[in-house]
Amino acid sequence: MKELIQKLCASFGPAGREGQIRAVIAAEIEKLKEEYFVDTLGNLVVRKGPAGGKKILVAAHMDEIGLMVTYIEENGYLRFTNLGGIMQQTLPGTRVFFENGTVGVIGQEKNKETREPGLSKYYLDIGAENRETALAKVKIGDAAVYLAPLHQEGKRLTAKSLDNRVGCAVLLETLSRLSAATLPGEVFFVFTVQEEVGLRGAQTIAYRTKPHYGLAVDVTRVGDTPEPEFKTNVSLGKGPTVKVMDSAVICHPKVTNLMMDVAEKNNIPYQPEVLERGGTDAGAIHLSRDGIPTGALSIPCRYIHTPAEMVDLDDVENGIALLQELLKCEQW
Amino acid sequence: MDMEGLLRKLTEEDGVSGYEKKVAGIAAGAFSPYVDDTRTDNLGNLIFLKKGQGNSPPRLLICAHMDEIGLIVTKVEENGFLRFTSLGGFDARTLPGQAVNIYGRDKVPGIIGFKLPPLYTEQEKGQGVKMEDLFLDTALTPEVVRETIAVGSVAAIERKYLTLQHNSRAGKAFDDRAGIVALWQCARELHKIRHEADLYLVATVQEEVGTRGAVVSTFGISPDLGIAVDVCHGDFPGALEQETSPLTKGPVVTSGPNIHPFIAEKLLHVAAEYHLPYQRDVSPGPTGTDARAIQITMEGVPTGLLSIPLRYMHTSVELVDLEDIKVAGLLLARFVAAVDRAFVEGLVCL
Repeated sequence: MKELIQKLCASFGPAGREGQIRAVIAAEIEKLKEEYFVDTLGNLVVRKGPAGGKKILVAAHMDEIGLMVTYIEENGYLRFTNLGGIMQQTLPGTRVFFENGTVGVIGQEKNKETREPGLSKYYLDIGAENRETALAKVKIGDAAVYLAPLHQEGKRLTAKSLDNRVGCAVLLETLSRLSAATLPGEVFFVFTVQEEVGLRGAQTIAYRTKPHYGLAVDVTRVGDTPEPEFKTNVSLGKGPTVKVMDSAVICHPKVTNLMMDVAEKNNIPYQPEVLERGGTDAGAIHLSRDGIPTGALSIPCRYIHTPAEMVDLDDVENGIALLQELLKCEQW
Repeated sequence: MDMEGLLRKLTEEDGVSGYEKKVAGIAAGAFSPYVDDTRTDNLGNLIFLKKGQGNSPPRLLICAHMDEIGLIVTKVEENGFLRFTSLGGFDARTLPGQAVNIYGRDKVPGIIGFKLPPLYTEQEKGQGVKMEDLFLDTALTPEVVRETIAVGSVAAIERKYLTLQHNSRAGKAFDDRAGIVALWQCARELHKIRHEADLYLVATVQEEVGTRGAVVSTFGISPDLGIAVDVCHGDFPGALEQETSPLTKGPVVTSGPNIHPFIAEKLLHVAAEYHLPYQRDVSPGPTGTDARAIQITMEGVPTGLLSIPLRYMHTSVELVDLEDIKVAGLLLARFVAAVDRAFVEGLVCL
């Protein structure tokens, strides 16, 4: 499990530039002897189970937050904008890498203010002496992601892009453990693009697949750190969460109740979740066409959208167990 | 049931965004004598069809949202107090001291607790009320709280319908159950009037969290024309005249980029023809109503907006004038009767 997550987290794949991570996931799927297709926007779709019954769309986004180069200065420094929710306070001193392997360091201009100065006061240093040498490696519009390899400490993993490569790992592992014969209907396992910039991949694949039900697999915030930003009971290591609500969706009671029933019947620990800020693919899926009852399963994660996100391996295992039992269950 | 009876029943019931079932039940019963078909869609929108007499009837959608803003539990504290966030836009200043119904395993009465000014620390003085400092107090033991209520349990403001002078009525959830009552009034009136169009009357869900019910119900119905019926800010001391509409002067016809000019024009024309009082306002962008969702569904739907003036929006003392609601219903009915195939075809050739 750790190796799979490590491989996924190491891959490059900011929103809109998911080519590398998609290839890594595709290779895993080929190992499982499953077929897949890639849709117009780049979502990777695996179809499993018998046609004719209820169709379920399970989505985990494979994109990650990142930076995009907007300007290259005379002296070789790069200016950038954000792809998704970058947290400024984590930027100075952070390393990033580009799709071609170029590594850069983020610097900050002198700042005497206590409040966050805005992204225009940060720059990227790729070791270029001037614009010309910079342009040999990077051009405007190129994207970069954090360089922060995975590390394990006990049951906890920390790395960049656990949001949402851990969700991708849950889908891949569930795919490998489930036999098509145990599925009551057709399941579309989808690795979506561009979630971090507005749930865009999920929107088009929900429209295309027309599922009866939707389920997003993603990470969620916790309240078990000193003075957390939001008051929540969600903690690391106490099980995956069953989402009730976030900024983008009020989960359909039929789906949340089914998830909780399945968890209880199979003695899988879970935590109910209300996420005050942030959304997942469930937000786009449930508004597709004339409405799709949708829920979400989340892996609790600390330090979301920093280079050092953290999850607990037990939560990942229990997340896989819950997803597996949920997809096998006949009560949809 | 009379109009006021329905308004009372609808506004004393709880139905926060995403949990509108009980309100839908009341509406379904009230509309059933006047409509040909009733159905509920995937997200819980309640859709009534009133068939028209035309050979090739245009499809009209008129909707009002039945959800109300509410609260949702985010954390159960060790001592049994409940932390919450809002479902929709509550101003934290209006919450301290309110009574609520919390929907856990059972319905549990509670109140919104808060720290009183004499107990403020120096830093807290002059800070105002923040939602994160408020909590729900059920007075139950922590053990019972944990058995009954969980993260994700929702709560609605508890408030009895208030009868003030003349036609003034106040309470919670008049936004937008006053609109539902206007739809009902429209259905009742159309029972007596011939109309060509097939009319879909929709009580939408989840408007307060982003017009979500309108997004999917409009797709499902794919109408030729859509009208949202909602509330707008009434007049009160200190409010700017150009930003509010006085109560008792009739419903408000909106113009602006969210609105098809011919629909606004037709509403005004019909109101004048039948001597119904009306007001006008202008909204410069997408309106904060279901109209914003209707307009951009599928290949686009010509959209109108009719609003009922209401004071103290998003509080438990929303105040309306009964006659404004009634006139809104009558105007909608006369509008529907005036719409034929030629009119909706004319909407797409400006």
